[in-house]
Amino acid sequence: MRTSSVLLASVLALLPLNSVVLAAALPKIDFPADSPVDLLSADYGESNESARGGALLLDFHAALSLRNAGQRKIRGITLVVSAQEVTPGGKGSVTITSLDVGPQETFPVRIDLRLLRPLQAASSVPVQIGLDGVLFDDLSFYGPDKLSSRHTMALAEWEARRDRRYFKSVLASGGPERLRQEMLESLTHEADRPSMDVQVVRGGRATNFEPEKQLQFAFVHLPDSPVEPVDGMARIAGNEARAPRLEVKNRSDRAIRYLEVGWIVHDQAGREFLAGSVPAELNLAPGQQSRIFENATLKFPQLGAQPLAIESMTGFVSSVEFADGTLWIPTRGDLGSPQLQRVMASSDEEQRLARIYRKKGLAALVAELNKF
Amino acid sequence: MKHLEQSRIALLAGGELGRLEGWLAQRHIARCAECRAELAGFCLAANDLRELAEAMPELPNNLNWNRLSEEINGNIRVGLAAGEAIALFDKPVRTKPRLGWNAALVILGATLIFGIAFWTSLPPQQAEHLLASLKRIRTERIGTVIHSGAATPDEAVVEASSSGIQVKENGRTLSLMQPRSDGATVSISMQGSAGVRFVDADTGQVTTNKVYYADQ
Repeated sequence: MRTSSVLLASVLALLPLNSVVLAAALPKIDFPADSPVDLLSADYGESNESARGGALLLDFHAALSLRNAGQRKIRGITLVVSAQEVTPGGKGSVTITSLDVGPQETFPVRIDLRLLRPLQAASSVPVQIGLDGVLFDDLSFYGPDKLSSRHTMALAEWEARRDRRYFKSVLASGGPERLRQEMLESLTHEADRPSMDVQVVRGGRATNFEPEKQLQFAFVHLPDSPVEPVDGMARIAGNEARAPRLEVKNRSDRAIRYLEVGWIVHDQAGREFLAGSVPAELNLAPGQQSRIFENATLKFPQLGAQPLAIESMTGFVSSVEFADGTLWIPTRGDLGSPQLQRVMASSDEEQRLARIYRKKGLAALVAELNKF
Repeated sequence: MKHLEQSRIALLAGGELGRLEGWLAQRHIARCAECRAELAGFCLAANDLRELAEAMPELPNNLNWNRLSEEINGNIRVGLAAGEAIALFDKPVRTKPRLGWNAALVILGATLIFGIAFWTSLPPQQAEHLLASLKRIRTERIGTVIHSGAATPDEAVVEASSSGIQVKENGRTLSLMQPRSDGATVSISMQGSAGVRFVDADTGQVTTNKVYYADQ
C-alpha cells in the first residue's frame, strides 16, 4: 500500500506541470430547441492547457459532428464561440459556407480556439458554443443573427452562384481546357495576391508620433453599382489610418439598408493591398446621400525591415443590401478591372472549386459544377 | 471718588493739558486733597529739574544733531548684527543626522526592495499591462505621444494575420486558429471584427473564422 502510494506520487511528480489534461473547461454547447441542426458528437481530443510564464494558455480543439434535422438543404452555418471569463467584450464565430447538406445528412465543424489569460484568474474557463444562424438553399435563414451571419452567408451564396454561373459558361463555351486555364489562373492569382497583417482598434488614440494628415479617397466607380461613392477621407499617420469618413449616394430606385466599402491602401514603396472594409447599416432612400463614419483605427505592422507608410487610398463599393433583403455584388467584369484584380481575393466558391481541381482533377471539377 | 490719573496730574503740573481738560482737572483737584498733594509733588519735582538743568554747563552751539542721530543708528545696527552672530555660536552643533532622516532612509530602502520583489514576481502579462498603464498616464498627464507598435493592452484590439485572428482585451486573448489549409484570406471590418477565410485541407469546406469586439 505504502509502496503504491509512493509510486503514484512519483508518477504524478513526473507528469509535466505545464501540460494538464483539460477536464474542467469542457465547453457548453447550447443549440435552441427548434434548431434545424443537431449535435451528434463532439471530440475535444487534442485540447489542453499549459502555463506560459505568468499566463495560462488554453488550446481548445473541437471536432463537432452536426446533422441537418430540417427538411431544406443547408448552404451555410455560423457557430458563435465565446469565453466571457477571458474576453468579456470579445467573441468569435466559425462560419462554413458553400455547403450542400441535405436533410438528415451530417457534416463536420472544426473549432480551433486559443485562450490566453493570467494565471491568477479563475481556474475554469467556460467556453460557450452556440448557433448564430443557418442559411438554406432557398436563401431563407434561421437563427438569432447576433453576428450578422445572415448577411455574411447570403453574400457568400450570391458570390458562389455568380461564380458557378461563370465557370459553367466557360465550360459551355470553351470546353474543359478553357476551364482548366481559368482554374490555373485562379490558383496563380491567389498565390500572388498581396496580403497583410492588420489590427483594428475601436476608438483608439493615435500611437504613432508621426504627423497626422488628411488623405482623400480615390474611388473605383463600378458601372452597375447602386451606390456611388461621392467623397471620402481618412486621417493618416505613418502606418495608421484612422476615422474614415465617406459620402455615398443611392443611385438606384430601391431603398438600401446595408453597404460595405472596400478600402485599398497603397504605400510609398508601391505596394497595395486590401486593408479592410467600412460597413454601414443605414436607411438610404433612392437618390438620397448619406455620410458614413467609423471611429476606428487601422494599424499595419512593419513589413520586415521596411516600415509601411500609407501614401494613397482607394475605395470601392463591395456589397449592397437592399431593404427587401436582396443583394448587389460586383460582377466578375467589375472585379477584373486592373485596380481591383490585383488585390481582391477569389470568392469562397472559386477557392473551393480551385481546390477540387487541384486535388481531384478536371473531371471532378466538371462533376461538381454540374451538381447545381 | 475717582482720582485723576498720574499722567494727567503730571501734564497739569507741566501746564501741558488742554483748556477743557485742564479746567476739569483743576475742578477735581479743588475738591480732592489726595490729588492736590500729588500735584504739589509733581510741581516740586519740576522745579528741582529746572534748577538742576540751570546748574549744568551749556551744550556746544555747533552740535551736529544729524550726525549724532546717524551714529546712534549705526551703533544700534552693529549691536543687532553682533547679537545675531553670537546667537549662531550659541546653537548646538549637530554631529549626527536626525532620527527623521534615518527613518526616511529605512522606508526608502524597504520600498525599493518591495518594488523589486513585486516586479520580479509579477507575471509578464500583468507587468506589461502595468507598464502600459503607467505609460498611458504619462501620456495623458504630460501630453507626449508615445510610440508603440501595438495599442495599450486595456484597449480592445482585433487583429488578423494569415495564421489566425484574435481579440485582445486587458492582456487576455481569444484567438481562432487556422488549421492546415490551402491559403488564407484575411479581412478586417472597421466595425471591430477580423476574419480569416480558408479552405480546410481535411474537409474541403470553406471556413471563415471571425473575432468581434463589444456590441457585435
